[in-house]
Amino acid sequence: MDSFFFLVILAGAIAGASTGLLGAYVVGMRMPFIGICISHAAMVGTIYSILFGVNPVWGPVVFSAASSMSLGMVRPGRSRIDANVALAIFFNLMLGLTFLGIGLMHGSRSEVLGLLWGSLLFVRKSSVAVITISGLVFVIFAALFNKELKVLLFSRTIASATGVHESFVYCFFLALCGLILAVNLPLVGGLMIFSLITCPAAAAYQICKGHRSVIVAATVFGTASAVIGFLVSYYLDLPTGACIVIVSATIFAVSALYRTFRG
Amino acid sequence: MIGGHITLSNIEVRWSGRIILAIKEIQIRQGEFAGIIGTNGAGKTTFLKVCCGLIKPTQGTVELDGRDLAGLNAWRKANVRKHIGYIPQAAEYNAELPFTLRELVAMGRTSVKPLLSPLKKEDYEIADNWIDRLALSDRRSQTFRSLSGGEQQKALIARAMTQDPEILMLDEPCSNLDFNWKYQITEIIDQLHSVSKITVLMVSHDTSLLPESCKRIVLLHEGDVLADGDIEDVLEPESLEKAYQCRVDILKLAGRRYTINKS
Repeated sequence: MDSFFFLVILAGAIAGASTGLLGAYVVGMRMPFIGICISHAAMVGTIYSILFGVNPVWGPVVFSAASSMSLGMVRPGRSRIDANVALAIFFNLMLGLTFLGIGLMHGSRSEVLGLLWGSLLFVRKSSVAVITISGLVFVIFAALFNKELKVLLFSRTIASATGVHESFVYCFFLALCGLILAVNLPLVGGLMIFSLITCPAAAAYQICKGHRSVIVAATVFGTASAVIGFLVSYYLDLPTGACIVIVSATIFAVSALYRTFRG
Repeated sequence: MIGGHITLSNIEVRWSGRIILAIKEIQIRQGEFAGIIGTNGAGKTTFLKVCCGLIKPTQGTVELDGRDLAGLNAWRKANVRKHIGYIPQAAEYNAELPFTLRELVAMGRTSVKPLLSPLKKEDYEIADNWIDRLALSDRRSQTFRSLSGGEQQKALIARAMTQDPEILMLDEPCSNLDFNWKYQITEIIDQLHSVSKITVLMVSHDTSLLPESCKRIVLLHEGDVLADGDIEDVLEPESLEKAYQCRVDILKLAGRRYTINKS
């Protein structure tokens, strides 16, 4: 096994683990759509930083953090539109801005199109370091605020009414959500990141009992989706992104079947 | 310090220009059990949410034990609310998450403990104690989602009680329960109130669900307080007919009052 191969697997595993873990919270809070919204905001950030010649690291981080914070302002039961409708509108706006940016671009667009599906195969050591650090930051956050996050998962209404520091923890969570999505986006792409947030976590919620096992299972399933997906694509010479998405969906399907037949 | 005193003055809640709730002055005294009744859309849930600061009124002040909620920042507001036990309607929590009953009940301790200090053995002992008191011992390690509706409601009450609450707020705690569970849940609330002398605010559609220790009724109609006072005075045909726009009879049976449409 050469070192390039190892680096790709490592990058995939870390990206899968951190998005899988993040997904456990995003799916548990019944807002998986937030993932695709924020990752597209990050995409818009990247495209416009390329367009205006700014360092393309900061654009997505700023954009996704800003968008996740503003999505956090949409309070359940307080705003006049359903949170999912708000997210859908936001998503459309981001998609519009994405394609506007692509349209405005001159010369090669491959870098930008790579954002849709990611470029895991062109990963560099520095980006592996960045996703590892941001993943660890999220793990530390989840450990420190474990008890608050559990209440937030169960009910933001209860959390807020009963004096849990809900807005503080939720805003912190959304900011980190933006960070994880932004730094993983160049690697896994906007479309695949959505499936890595949703499928492993949804599978974990099917078969697990207790919060801790959900967290562990979602992380493991996320890692497995990325690694198995990559290996399948490598040995069968298929597109990497597509394989990862299909593996993660398969993991979900197997867990759903398991829950159905086990009762 | 024992608290649980709520004062609302000159409250107005508007939603898209429409007045949802308009209250001149209401005081809920410490240790009181008040039933909030009224027609659909009368503002019962809004009333409850204003009392615990979930909805910020467009006008007026809400004081919790003499502290004006509007004058507090998010952090101090959370500290003021940590002894409010809140039981929302089913749409406001995610019953599908695989939390175990013990985990869910212990969640109440989150409100009481400061940020960054994890739940400890003694917190789980308090949770276990409430699980036993509400006769859920044999369900302890089952998931919340596998419990029956009545058991889930008991679990939510146990969760609120681990907060060591000064006020217990319940929003339609018996909807979707069969008649026996309705009776059991309201008896539990009755006992909790008589034993621990906490303030109880309970929203209900059905007057027969108000247990014996509920001595005060607030009758809401189109956002206004139509009647407020002793249960004997408020639960009489004249005021109910005004609110419900039909001829009403009240049947007293085994300490409970049943409202019947006579027309």
